[in-house]
Amino acid sequence: MTDVLLSVHDLSVAYGQVQVLFGVDLAVARGSVTTLIGANGAGKTTLMKTLAGMVAPRSGTVLFQGRDIAHLPSHARVDGGLALIPEGRLVFGGMTVEQNLRLGAIAPSARAGHDEMLAEVYRRFPRLQERRHQRAGLMSGGEQQMLALGRGLMARPRLILMDEPTLGLAPVMVRKVFDTIAELRAAGFTILLAEQNARVALEIADHATLLENGRIAMTGTGAELLAAPAVRRAYLGL
Amino acid sequence: MVDTLLSGQLLFAALVSGSLYALVALGLNLVYGTLRLLNIAHGDLVMIGAYVAFWLFTLWAVPPLVALVLAAVLCAGLGWAVYAGLFRRMLAKPALAKRVEANSLILFYGISVILQNAAALAFTASPRAYRWLDTVITWGGVSMTLNRLLTLGVAAGICFGVLAFLRFHLFGWGLRAVIQRKDAAQVVGVNIERVQLITICAGFAVAGMAGVLVSMTEQITPFMGFPFTIVAFVVIIVGGLGNIGAGVLAGFALGLVETYGIALTSAGYRSILIYGIFVGVLMLRPEGLFTKAVRT
Repeated sequence: MTDVLLSVHDLSVAYGQVQVLFGVDLAVARGSVTTLIGANGAGKTTLMKTLAGMVAPRSGTVLFQGRDIAHLPSHARVDGGLALIPEGRLVFGGMTVEQNLRLGAIAPSARAGHDEMLAEVYRRFPRLQERRHQRAGLMSGGEQQMLALGRGLMARPRLILMDEPTLGLAPVMVRKVFDTIAELRAAGFTILLAEQNARVALEIADHATLLENGRIAMTGTGAELLAAPAVRRAYLGL
Repeated sequence: MVDTLLSGQLLFAALVSGSLYALVALGLNLVYGTLRLLNIAHGDLVMIGAYVAFWLFTLWAVPPLVALVLAAVLCAGLGWAVYAGLFRRMLAKPALAKRVEANSLILFYGISVILQNAAALAFTASPRAYRWLDTVITWGGVSMTLNRLLTLGVAAGICFGVLAFLRFHLFGWGLRAVIQRKDAAQVVGVNIERVQLITICAGFAVAGMAGVLVSMTEQITPFMGFPFTIVAFVVIIVGGLGNIGAGVLAGFALGLVETYGIALTSAGYRSILIYGIFVGVLMLRPEGLFTKAVRT
């Protein structure tokens, strides 16, 4: 990989006595979609949370744009251009759609020109504009996922971490989420995607990593993992 | 009887005590909402503010309006000390943070005992009072002392000022985000630690200012704070924990219910009324009267 935006070296994470990640290495090339697949409990969400600064690593480095951010607080990471679209979406249910979006631009680096960014998000997701004055908690799961995505974009990220964005969504919304990911890549964003929906996630991926029991089991292009017998058996049900 | 109930006099009295309840509860609600700390010593900050006003006025004739600022600064400093000294590390460690709500109750109980007895040692337990701006004016048939009018104006002003700040200022949005969903606030990049520190200082400062206002019209003792703690807890439970706007509304509502309830019965029923509302709300609408249940 020539232009690496994020590189993770020998990352280990534990919750108390329970170790979840064991010496994980990962690289994300600028402008790519990198997919992280693995079973429930493999450590995908823990890795995402560690990258976002919500969980502290036990050891290892996280280089983002050449700087070690492994011990920065999460708000400093958002300010530096790293946005997490969290599992379960975590929208502010009692606030309106537009308030949610504006909160997405609370990092100092995102404040300038956040009106243009809001217009941009509304252009990308017209549904959000229609519902801008509605309480976020009253929207459907798919709409909330769009909102979580839009809110992440408001931070003007260079790297978007998406954790299980299709979890619990209807098939039509799953399609829409993956279309959006492709559009975002085309628009120049870099995306690290953790997904249980392995087939679609690998189809869209430039690079892919298989995580098993907290360790990297395989890396390659999306097509390579799609063709790998172990992946086909365990994750694609073939 | 009906005349009394319809009089502007009673309404004014209700609004004055309502505005004080709203103000005291506001500070407690901010601290509970953002830090999940149950500050059982909240009323003792009211006591501290009252003594600040009393001594400044008695010793150096400093007007209570100046004491308002000094009490706010002093109590904000106490908030900073409590946060930096006791809670910062607890809130940073996930294992301790889970228990911080229960532990804070015990810690603040200790702080409350220390504050009350330190005040009793320093100032003796004898009730104190001073007279300032107690001229009676009559306005629209309602007689009121100027200091009560000032209390209403300042208390309501601070309450609505804070509400406006939460509604219109970006920092206020961040604060509401922390109250509503701390994990999500972290995701969007709110500086949680900064919000928590500023909020605990502000919450303590508001209680201190309430104490200055109380001192203008009521007796000051080292143990005057506890009833305010109780009232504040009743108010924020009636309004909905962490729901700042509803808490202010509930403060005024409690002042009205208390004042009119006493007018209809007798002063002996005050506690029954307040605790009755408390228990009633907990049984019938534990999420608070003014909270719309929204699932996220």
